[in-house]
Amino acid sequence: MSDAVIEVRNLVKRFGSLTAVDGVSFTVERGEVFGILGPNGAGKTTMLECIEGLQKADAGEALVLDMNALQHPEKVKDRVGVQLQASAYFERLTLTEILNLFGKMYSRHVEPEKLLEMVELSDKANAVVKVLSGGQKQRFTLAASLVNDPEVVFLDEPTTGLDPQARRNVWELIERMHDEGRTIVLTTHYMEEAQHLCGRVAVMDSGAIVALDSPAELIKSLPTPLHIRLSTSVPVPMEELEGLPGVQQPVTLDGDHYVLPSVSAEATLPALLQWLSGKGAAPLHLEVISATLEDVFLELTGKELRD
Amino acid sequence: MLTSLVLANLKLIYRDRQAAFWAIAFPLIFLLIFGLFNFNDLNPVDVTVIDHAGNELSESLIADLDSIELLELEAGTIEADARQDVVDGESKYLLIIPEGLDPTTNPGDLTLIYDESEFQTNQLVEELIRRFLDGANLRLQDVEPLLSLTSQGIQGRPVEYFDFLLPGLIGMGVMTFSIIGMGTTIAQYRQQRILRRIQATPLKVRTFFIAQVLAWLMLSLLQTAIIMTAGTIIFDAVIYGNYFWVLPLVILANLTFLNLGFIVGSLSKSVQAASGLGNLLTMPMMFFSGVFFPADSLPSIMSSVVKYLPLTPLLEALRGVLLDAQPLWDFPVQLALLVGWVVVTAVIAVKTFKFE
Repeated sequence: MSDAVIEVRNLVKRFGSLTAVDGVSFTVERGEVFGILGPNGAGKTTMLECIEGLQKADAGEALVLDMNALQHPEKVKDRVGVQLQASAYFERLTLTEILNLFGKMYSRHVEPEKLLEMVELSDKANAVVKVLSGGQKQRFTLAASLVNDPEVVFLDEPTTGLDPQARRNVWELIERMHDEGRTIVLTTHYMEEAQHLCGRVAVMDSGAIVALDSPAELIKSLPTPLHIRLSTSVPVPMEELEGLPGVQQPVTLDGDHYVLPSVSAEATLPALLQWLSGKGAAPLHLEVISATLEDVFLELTGKELRD
Repeated sequence: MLTSLVLANLKLIYRDRQAAFWAIAFPLIFLLIFGLFNFNDLNPVDVTVIDHAGNELSESLIADLDSIELLELEAGTIEADARQDVVDGESKYLLIIPEGLDPTTNPGDLTLIYDESEFQTNQLVEELIRRFLDGANLRLQDVEPLLSLTSQGIQGRPVEYFDFLLPGLIGMGVMTFSIIGMGTTIAQYRQQRILRRIQATPLKVRTFFIAQVLAWLMLSLLQTAIIMTAGTIIFDAVIYGNYFWVLPLVILANLTFLNLGFIVGSLSKSVQAASGLGNLLTMPMMFFSGVFFPADSLPSIMSSVVKYLPLTPLLEALRGVLLDAQPLWDFPVQLALLVGWVVVTAVIAVKTFKFE
């Protein structure tokens, strides 16, 4: 029997004539880091807010820890941790004061000192939110999302607007939360983030999930999950390269490099090397480039992830 | 939970310097400015008299005029110089008694020359001298006046302008503090998505707003106490009535102001917009509802509109209980208006509210 902490079935949310979430279904298992990847406006936040009990879905079902988010949103809210996109906290309260205040809103709560220690903000315990840097604020919102020691944590675009250093920092914290045994659901429009953090990724476009699998499997499912870049000591005929095992059309020329789309490295590489030595051509440069979730998104929707 | 929330709100408002300014400094600045003026004592008016007649009659007229307390007579000699003095603003009034004035053979016309810019006192002085001459006329014709007035000055409570101003400033202070303070707070909470974050917790949004209102009510009472204390101790304003009645009045009226602030916060996209809209709402009430001057001195069409504004009944009732020492139940119309405003604004506040 599976240990599902979130079950979403045919969830629909409309705003007037716009259908923001269009019949979405998926399951999240205990202990997963589950990513929802999609461009701005794909419906990620709306879907997340329906599951968190923040918005009322028009149809379908969302079960969180066996509680119905549509019928008993307050029960769900008490048990999950939430970080909202671009949400701030009372500017003139200290971090400890805010964590104490929010802790009181839940049926159980963690001491502020422990939370601040975890996100390395212990030295800012008596500072007000106003004086924190962007990265510190984001770390604080992560601490605040854990104030009720939740089993499930929802993070809406946790690293949007952060510099690379602060982003790495937040990733580490999310991994730490995961190591503590929490289930994490996060939305992002950064494919590196999904690839780095998530066990499984739901690719979302125009309110629907168009693919759902681990990042590796999603990439493998591409017709050409990798490219081989090659330069040789003497020119070789391109149409013969296209005939090698596993190589897909079209082979292209990028400067003095041949670019070969391939279905798998193990099928193509040995045959390629053998064929090259038969031609008397030495490989000067040989590089195998894996496709990314970006390519998956482009393949599935015909759109770029970032506009 | 409610207590923690109220405490958090109190801390938040207390740490906001701008709010503190609106709450305390703003009304006290008015108290200070108006304290510099002296609206109560009317200074005696200097009148230069040129007596061309110089006979028994003119001298007795001058002596009688001089006995009027408000007038300070000064004998002039050369008419042309005296006229120039009025033009130059060195003297304000010049009274000329024509040559050869005689009640039987030569009834005369006295001339009063005055500086038109002194419009406040001109009417008073002119009327005073006219009345005086009317009386003199009757006496000279030996007519016994048919109607006479015996005035009895009864020593009432000497309500001075400052006493009148203090309840006005209490009302104004509470109004601006609550409308602008609450308005900017709600706008900020929405702009920074704090309301949304609260909504993501199991806390009932209602509880959050009840705590908000309680905190503001408590602060407005503190604010009222400070203004009243400063007014009576530093500025010598006198309060004749029962201080206690101020409490329910301020709370009742403030519920309306807080609702209005809430509406302002809901309609404004930013803190700046909320501040602007709040000012737009409080400014007309501040000037027309009788903070500085009685509202019934406005043109009648205006005052008939103004008396329904939420600040007007508050000020009327506040002055009634503080200056005239009346009990609160002497103001059923004002109380009904205040309650009506609370209900109406509460409905609008609920209708206009949005989380984002």
